[in-house]
Amino acid sequence: MTSVKQYIDFLHEQRPRLDACSLPLLNARRDAAASALVAGGFPSQKVERYRYTDVAAAFAPNYGIWLKDAGGAAGSALSDEDVACCQTHYGTLADVKADAIVALNTMLVDDLLVLHIPAGVSKSHPVQVTQTLRATAPLMQNRRMLIVAEAGAHVQVILNERADADQDFLVTQVTEVFVGPGAQVEFYDIESTHARFHRFHQFYADIAEEGRLTHASITLAGGLSRNQTDVRLSGEGGEVHLLGCAVTDGQQHVDNNTLIDHRAPGCVSRELYKYVVDQQSTGAFAGRVLVREAAQQTDSEEQNANLVCTDQARMWTQPMLEIYADDVKCSHGSTVGQLNADALFYMAQRGIGESEARTMLKQAFAAEVVAEIPLEALRQRLHAMIEKRFRSCEDCRLCK
Amino acid sequence: MLEIKNLHATVSGKEILKGVDLVVKPGEIHALMGQNGAGKSTLSNVLVGHPAYTVTEGSVTFNGKDLLSMTPDERSHEGLFLSFQQPVEIPGVSMVNFMRAALNAKRKYQGLEPLDAASFLKLMREKRKIVELDNKLANRSVNEGFSGGEKKRNEIFQMAMLEPTLSILDETDSGLDVDALRIVAEGFNKLRTPQTAAIVITHYQRLLDYLKPDVVHVLIDGRIVKTGGPELAVEIERRGFDWIKEEIA
Ligand SMILES: Nc1ncnc2c1ncn2[C@@H]1O[C@H](COP(=O)(O)OP(=O)(O)OP(=O)(O)O)[C@@H](O)[C@H]1O
Ligand SMILES: [Mg+2]
Repeated sequence: MTSVKQYIDFLHEQRPRLDACSLPLLNARRDAAASALVAGGFPSQKVERYRYTDVAAAFAPNYGIWLKDAGGAAGSALSDEDVACCQTHYGTLADVKADAIVALNTMLVDDLLVLHIPAGVSKSHPVQVTQTLRATAPLMQNRRMLIVAEAGAHVQVILNERADADQDFLVTQVTEVFVGPGAQVEFYDIESTHARFHRFHQFYADIAEEGRLTHASITLAGGLSRNQTDVRLSGEGGEVHLLGCAVTDGQQHVDNNTLIDHRAPGCVSRELYKYVVDQQSTGAFAGRVLVREAAQQTDSEEQNANLVCTDQARMWTQPMLEIYADDVKCSHGSTVGQLNADALFYMAQRGIGESEARTMLKQAFAAEVVAEIPLEALRQRLHAMIEKRFRSCEDCRLCK
Repeated sequence: MLEIKNLHATVSGKEILKGVDLVVKPGEIHALMGQNGAGKSTLSNVLVGHPAYTVTEGSVTFNGKDLLSMTPDERSHEGLFLSFQQPVEIPGVSMVNFMRAALNAKRKYQGLEPLDAASFLKLMREKRKIVELDNKLANRSVNEGFSGGEKKRNEIFQMAMLEPTLSILDETDSGLDVDALRIVAEGFNKLRTPQTAAIVITHYQRLLDYLKPDVVHVLIDGRIVKTGGPELAVEIERRGFDWIKEEIA
């Protein structure tokens, strides 16, 4: 509980400043969030969804907590309609009682990034949000995003997570996404940080009838990354595609925990997560697909494939399929393997040296996820980023 | 060019090669025949340095250098090429990237600059023509979903790209239809020069009709037990191997 205490103390000390610079909507939720955090504490690794990541340890150090300038105006640019939209949706998917990260975030957050796409509007360009942290002392940041795509709207969002300073960082990100009837949302979360970066992303989405969500979680570099992605298919004919790609080395840890909740009939879900786990790094994937009684004619496929490159690297994989409807088509599976020795030898015979051959095979493995991304320009950028990720590590001998 | 002396090799602790002697000179084509399991592919694998095989005795020199002390990629750079009996599929690695990496690795070994993109693609086009390899195949992942015959054709295409001095063809004819066999064999002949040599492993006379070997060897139980001219292959096609076994018994 000691680590919870420092955050509660911070809330009490900074409450006037927090309240002065934040929307009333955010301020109204702080007390309930604080009570939930005190009551539940940080989850131990006995809690199923946190089995693979030690949350308490990650939140124990004393970080400076980033707050907006006290003088900053709170939501002055928002129209009444937007404020009403936030009122209706904020905190309705991300439950402070269900998750400690959500509770902590809700308690301390001072800013809300809102994307409200009115009915029928289609954004012609992707919205890119780039977060680059820079600090001279350990720093924590709590961020919040709300995306509401009304009926028939279409939006593509790219979230770039970066760090500019070699410093200890801790980020909580809570994202709530509402995909309206027939709306389409694409959300690409791309982390390219460093070994001292700790990131917790709680992503929640609700998909109405005929709505469609594509979500990709790409972790190219980082220290500790935990991404929880919970998607609710609550209207008939909805569709979700979850993609994930993690490239890990050094002491890196990547934990993707997903829930696809089929609540309505005739929905489609597809899930593909791939990991390339190198050196002493660890990867975890837990993907639960829940098909409720009402969700007849569900069509679901879940796949997790992993490449473990060394004896010290570890990968845990846990696909879970839970079906309460009788007329469904569901499949799930996972594989953990090593680089194909026959392919490596074939390449060597053709003159391709071992390190280059390994790089090419790892890249090919990861690229399969990127190939599924519908946004062409992003696909190209990610292919280049992945190549660079593997190559710069091969070239640099610092951690070998 | 290649000198194999008393070569012994084991795989999973079992001795497969039991004293192979073979000398190949520039310009020559050697046919290597023998029953299933005799050790023909084992010999090819040992020569190209497959890690599953252990040499327990003997020596191999290639252009005056100790072949067995080189890594597989060095052997390739030195001019050794194996057309695999079973070519490997590499999903996700395009033929273009694969060939570019192979060619540029060799050029680096030779102290040359990497080939620029335009010259490389031009070279691919020229070499594809030699074995009439479909452009569609050249744009796919290495061997992925290729038919048996397409894989073999692709092996000779790679040979054309890398211009080895010594090529080992391990049953390159198997899987090829009659027309494809002619195209691939004629392509191979176009690549021959007085400086290049080949060891051709086959069970059938048909490929040898095109390639016209200078020497034919018979490998039985890990040893070369008989060597002759092209007529030996014709006789094996007619009579099988039992008479040779009786001869040496
Ligand atoms: N990697 C391996 N592991 C175990 N045994 C092997 C391995 N490679 C070859 N062998 C064994 O060695 C023996 C020789 O095999 P090899 O493949 O060299 O025969 P071959 O002469 O090429 O036969 P074929 O004409 O059928 O291609 C066989 O008994 C085979 O089972
Ligand atoms: Mg063989």
